[in-house]
Amino acid sequence: MHMLTNLMAQQTIWRLPEESRILFATLIVLGAFVLVLGLVPVLQTLPPRGRRAIIVTVTFLAGLFFAAEFFLPVDWTAVFPKDDPKRNFLTPAIQPAQNVLQIIGALALGLGTFGLVRLHLRNAVQRRPQWGYSIVLLVSFVVMAIFSVLNTLAEKGIVARDPLLQRGFSILFDYTLLQLDAAMFSLVAFYIFSAAYRAFRIRSVEASILMFTAMLVMIGVVPLGAYISPALPAIANWVLAYLNAPAQRAIEFGVGIGGLAMAIRLWLSLERGVT
Amino acid sequence: MSYQHAQDNWFSAILIGLIALAVLVNIWRARRGKELYIRRIPGLDAIDEAIGRSTELGRPVTMIPGMTDFGVVAVQALTIFKYITKQIARFATPMRLLSGNPTVFAVAQEAIYDAYNEAGRPDLYDADSIRFLSDRQFAFASGVAGLIQRERVAASFMFGEFFAESLIFAETGNMVGAIQIAGTVSFTQVPFFVAACDYTIIGEEFYATSAYLSREPVLLGSLVGQDIAKLLFALTTIGGVIAASIAGTDAPIIKLLGQPGGWDAFWSSVLKGGGQ
Amino acid sequence: MQARTQSVWQRMLSIDRRWLYLILFVNIMTFLLAPIRMPASISPPVQKFYDEIEKLQPGDMVMISSNWSASTLAENQPQLEALITHLMRKQARFTIISIEAQSRDISYRLAERITKEKGYQYGEQWVHFGFVPNLVVAIKGMVNDLPNTIKQDVRGKEISKIPALQGVKSLSDYKIVIDVTPSGTVPAWISYSPKNLTILYCPTSVMAAEAYTYLDSGQIKGMITGAKGAQEYEQLLGIRGLGAPFANTISFSHLLIIFFILLGNFAMLMNRLQAR
Repeated sequence: MHMLTNLMAQQTIWRLPEESRILFATLIVLGAFVLVLGLVPVLQTLPPRGRRAIIVTVTFLAGLFFAAEFFLPVDWTAVFPKDDPKRNFLTPAIQPAQNVLQIIGALALGLGTFGLVRLHLRNAVQRRPQWGYSIVLLVSFVVMAIFSVLNTLAEKGIVARDPLLQRGFSILFDYTLLQLDAAMFSLVAFYIFSAAYRAFRIRSVEASILMFTAMLVMIGVVPLGAYISPALPAIANWVLAYLNAPAQRAIEFGVGIGGLAMAIRLWLSLERGVT
Repeated sequence: MSYQHAQDNWFSAILIGLIALAVLVNIWRARRGKELYIRRIPGLDAIDEAIGRSTELGRPVTMIPGMTDFGVVAVQALTIFKYITKQIARFATPMRLLSGNPTVFAVAQEAIYDAYNEAGRPDLYDADSIRFLSDRQFAFASGVAGLIQRERVAASFMFGEFFAESLIFAETGNMVGAIQIAGTVSFTQVPFFVAACDYTIIGEEFYATSAYLSREPVLLGSLVGQDIAKLLFALTTIGGVIAASIAGTDAPIIKLLGQPGGWDAFWSSVLKGGGQ
Repeated sequence: MQARTQSVWQRMLSIDRRWLYLILFVNIMTFLLAPIRMPASISPPVQKFYDEIEKLQPGDMVMISSNWSASTLAENQPQLEALITHLMRKQARFTIISIEAQSRDISYRLAERITKEKGYQYGEQWVHFGFVPNLVVAIKGMVNDLPNTIKQDVRGKEISKIPALQGVKSLSDYKIVIDVTPSGTVPAWISYSPKNLTILYCPTSVMAAEAYTYLDSGQIKGMITGAKGAQEYEQLLGIRGLGAPFANTISFSHLLIIFFILLGNFAMLMNRLQAR
């Protein structure tokens, strides 16, 4: 086991000459691809019980890896003097495992983008209601993708830095995307105003206490509060530190425990919601 | 700080183990047939009412898991949406599931298809009703807001992890007169949902939702285990306050329990007779 | 049959939201442009933040995690500008890392502009690590081996060849990490960074409420909250930045919101009395 994890830790494949490295990496990727493709028909031929057994086993082993890596003691220098005291034998595999999860996430992004483009292409071709918006989306998508990819390649020196490319990217990114982002976030300020005017009504004693406390904090945390009275910032800080913090902590405990319980149910395949 | 392994703070690791034990023991008890009580959660009772309203008005229902990364929160959100979809399938109400995360989108497609299948209406499944809009926060927000406005949705369910875009969804839904039920673990967004939605599910009620809706013994047992764990935390806090008040915060036993690496301080000061 | 006319109170309760938006817009524009500048009262979290940076010695390493995009520019930009100014004043070396793709460009350009004005050299006193897709993976990697985790800076140069990072092997070689962010990324720093590292936090106002638990427990040592916190920090530094005008505008917006909340409640009360 130590030899295997040492091999993983040294990432030996990356120390090979480039041609061998590319060959090995290609073989590994192709092998993984064939394995996955081969598994799909095998899984489909299995009866539902068999399929469930495989899924439960794989889920358990995957979760066990992360749990074991966390709980196993790290300092084994008493037994293996040359070991790193900050990790156990599973720790070197954590980084590659996280990288695999990121790659799966990137694949999912491709899937999502494909779904989006397919939907809007179909809308445009079949002239469904509001197909004009679909055309706008598709044109924006293509134009932004072209300029973004070319800009990144230009940053790395793979393509020449064209003034037209720079100008185009600047117009799309700096003057359009960033400003639209800021504008959408600014909507929140206006929406808060209308929501507060509509919802903050004194309908009970608790609502009154909540409302007046909120007003004290709202005016206490801004410079105007200090200008009106030095007591207002002190009250606001006190409310935040001694009323807000314990309540946040209590909710965080509950959410954390709930999340842990849910994770245990998923790990042990006791949760039958989505699976 | 630097809690990469259990050895960095054995006290925390033991607490995690105790919580897991409480959950598993109560799941076992529930499976043995023990009756377990769960209190009413008004927001969840209103789901059927919201779906009924949508059906009467002939307008769609939206389900929004937000920008949640695929994990425990997303699975819980999709479990709730699966339940809602089964109810929707009874009335053939149109629906839209709008996701801001591509992995959640991929899993949602399967989950919703399963839901229609389990409800006996696979013919109602429309792949285009589950959409990945964008993983950019405000591009997603503007897409959702636009869709809610254009389709004049009658009911909006928002479950998952939300950030600044939460108020944009909620207020837009309010503008079109939709009945809105939100549930989130992001407590900084709870005030916005409370102000703009009809019902809000806060904190661990979100995790209790699947137990509440399905009444499955395993899930109810897990919920009781969570409550016992919370009680344990409360007792630990009170005990810690009393112990720290009596012994002082520098006492080895307090450092053992309360600080990362406190185990080292305890061994060196008490067992090796180093004082302090 | 005569139509019932609405009383002034009913009209006030059902006012079209667009009038509210217009009033708020006029309020913001007026006080943004007006030359009213009120001094800030320094809050304890900001004072602590300032004091921690003041403890730095020339040459100390600081990590800035900058994860904000154009949407939170009004809150995070004044924070980052004041922070970089303070670090340059203390002659500290700093590195910037981003987990948000937009933030990579925004923080890089901002840091380049400010450091050029004050004579700080890129590569000699500061470095930008560029974009990393996963913060937890990056922190865990940097704790063990920073040069092999980051590999290249934003300009494509190898980390091991950059003068500012000579002798830097891991995060343990840093004194402070400062998280400038609109999202909840600070728990990752708290959980996985080395014990000796001081953590400081620069959130947007909405995220600040949940950070008080970490401030209270000492897991973060100081905090600058939004534009208002930036104003306080600028005041401590004796500089004029964007924090002051933004914070003053926010003051009067808050006043407007409070006024309308009270007005709405008054209208509700009068409407009820009239109905009787």
